Amino acid sequence: MVPWSIEELKRESGARAAAGELLFQLADDDFIMGYRDQEWLGLAPHIEEDVAFGSIGQEEIGHAALYYRLLEELGFGRADDLASLRPAEERRNAVLLEQPNGTGDYLDNPHFDWAWTIVRHYCHDLWEIARLEGLRGSRVTPMREAAEKILGEKRYHRAHQELWMRTMASRNGESRERLASAVAHVGEWAGDLTEWGPARKDLIEWGILPDPDGVKAQFRHQLEAFLTVLDVSVPTIRMPFNGREGQHTKALTKALEHLSEVYRLDPLAQW
Amino acid sequence: MVEEQFTDQEAYFLERVDRGDRIEAEDWMPEDYRQQLVRLIAMHAVSEIMGALPEKEWVPRAPTLYRRLAITAKVQDEVGHGQLLIRVAEDLMRPWDKNREDIMEDLFTGRLKYHNVFHMATPTWADAGIIGWLVDGAAVITQGMSLSCSYAPYARALQRIVEEEGFHIQHGESICMALAEGTPMQRAMLQDALNRWWPALLMFFGPPEKSQLSTHQLRNIRYRIRSKTNEELRQRFFTKYVHRIWSLGLTIPDPTLRQDPVTKEWIYQQPDWNEFREIVNNHGPRSEARLGLRSTTYQEGEWVRRLISTAHRAG
Amino acid sequence: MERLDFDVYEVFAQSDPLKPHVHVFNVLASTPDMALALAEENFFRREGFVNLWVVRRDAIHQLGYQDREGFRKSEKTYRTTEDYKYLRDKWRHYREHPMSAEDRTGGTRDGSVVD
Repeated sequence: MVPWSIEELKRESGARAAAGELLFQLADDDFIMGYRDQEWLGLAPHIEEDVAFGSIGQEEIGHAALYYRLLEELGFGRADDLASLRPAEERRNAVLLEQPNGTGDYLDNPHFDWAWTIVRHYCHDLWEIARLEGLRGSRVTPMREAAEKILGEKRYHRAHQELWMRTMASRNGESRERLASAVAHVGEWAGDLTEWGPARKDLIEWGILPDPDGVKAQFRHQLEAFLTVLDVSVPTIRMPFNGREGQHTKALTKALEHLSEVYRLDPLAQW
Repeated sequence: MVEEQFTDQEAYFLERVDRGDRIEAEDWMPEDYRQQLVRLIAMHAVSEIMGALPEKEWVPRAPTLYRRLAITAKVQDEVGHGQLLIRVAEDLMRPWDKNREDIMEDLFTGRLKYHNVFHMATPTWADAGIIGWLVDGAAVITQGMSLSCSYAPYARALQRIVEEEGFHIQHGESICMALAEGTPMQRAMLQDALNRWWPALLMFFGPPEKSQLSTHQLRNIRYRIRSKTNEELRQRFFTKYVHRIWSLGLTIPDPTLRQDPVTKEWIYQQPDWNEFREIVNNHGPRSEARLGLRSTTYQEGEWVRRLISTAHRAG
Repeated sequence: MERLDFDVYEVFAQSDPLKPHVHVFNVLASTPDMALALAEENFFRREGFVNLWVVRRDAIHQLGYQDREGFRKSEKTYRTTEDYKYLRDKWRHYREHPMSAEDRTGGTRDGSVVD
């Protein structure tokens, strides 16, 4: 297939729609993940780790910004509007990623769960790496280039979560139990993480992401292999909602209201 | 005999300090010097750690993607400064068999104070801008003085810190300037925040000395831990910032504020120093709430620290 | 509850393949792997590095202050280029006035050039 620039992609409305669908999944995943990560800032269990995890949240937002800018170039609206003004039903992130870090929130009575935070993030990293590796075969040049650019940082994120998961698994007792229960808990929500939504067929046909099933198989294989190394059971994966179809929980509505509080005061102002 | 030896050691130590030599963690030092340093550096460390929280309130709510990235980087730096400083303090406390766990404990029980400014409320986005611009601006003035501190590990940590503060101040300036150039709503938000922060900014440098230096101050000057008085630093702050604030069309909430044309000294309305003492004793507007946030998450993260502590090394 | 204690790892970074590793700072970590991961984000959020070392602090041995003071070398100009500055002038002289096989006294022993 002939490689496409943004302009060429825009000329095929079906392809543009499918690429937009995928970019919204990527952008919204990273944006809400970054938001959840940022809630930990200043509150992590170990000071050095607070700084390290701070970079991860920051980079998630950076990646989201890159995807939103591609969407802007594709004519879906201004990047800042896409990030801050779209209501929950227009969001395409996985519901796993919108779940809070624990009970309470960062301003009020936070009871955050570090093991859940790390395991959930690990699944996100693994899935995004698989998607981005899948995008290397894309005919859309700027999407291929974005994937190349982002992969390095995502791999660092995955290594970071793996380090913590290995550390938790290395001790019998409390930390192992917390790890195992976090893995099971992630399974309760993780179903839509690896869904493609309505665009799956178009992604293949237009050569935007040629092998979505291969991406899914890679994720599944890597997750199982790592959990086996840790001697933690592979969870049963359920899908109470499908975020790729715009189904979301109240947690997302609440987060969106909060995160857009300033911007909504005047979206046309210079901030 | 032993006492005489001790005196010699102390005299030699002071001679090193006098000739501008820098002291390292493992060098012999008078117990009093160690105590003064721990007092100062532990306070500085927890001020960075608690100081991350007021702005952090606005990290998840930053208006644009760009601001979201910049403010998260800025707050992360503050936590990083906490890391540098708490490590320096811990190394000094080693002979007392204490470490950062004790520092955090002292913070939560109120034995260890943190800077007045971080007890204040940050009800709007403009507060985040004012902190970056003026609170960090004030901090750079005191930290700049401490770069010449006789204790090398502290001076080294401060070098890293001051370098990053340059970015922090400009980040704050950029937020404030955008608001000043913006809509009437944005300008009002900025003026409100300035009104709220002005007394706290003056308090930041501590009460004026009125020709009477405290014992702590005298010792710190003798040990070359600090070289300027509170009032000298506050005057520098006025000189650096008052005209800039005015140039954005903002009103400083002190009608008496002026510079004496002859002495160049700034005349200003004293903030309420009783209120200052109340604030630093954890009775500020947000003291309890923020200490609550930090201590809850710290205690609940204990299992993580246990996991990476030496408690597991044997088993 | 007993108080927790942690291992300190000292961090050394190399900024360029032709430069040595330089001490940066230190972190609290449980393993070298964790120390490396934490060091990256704690100390290199802006500038990069080409390589990092971490060393558990108890493996580092240092001089005490008295020994540091004692390590003041007396001036040894004979092992530096300092003592050989006169060579440049001599070379210039010989370029202009090469020594012949017969005449081997282009200069005096004290280094001054004879015209």
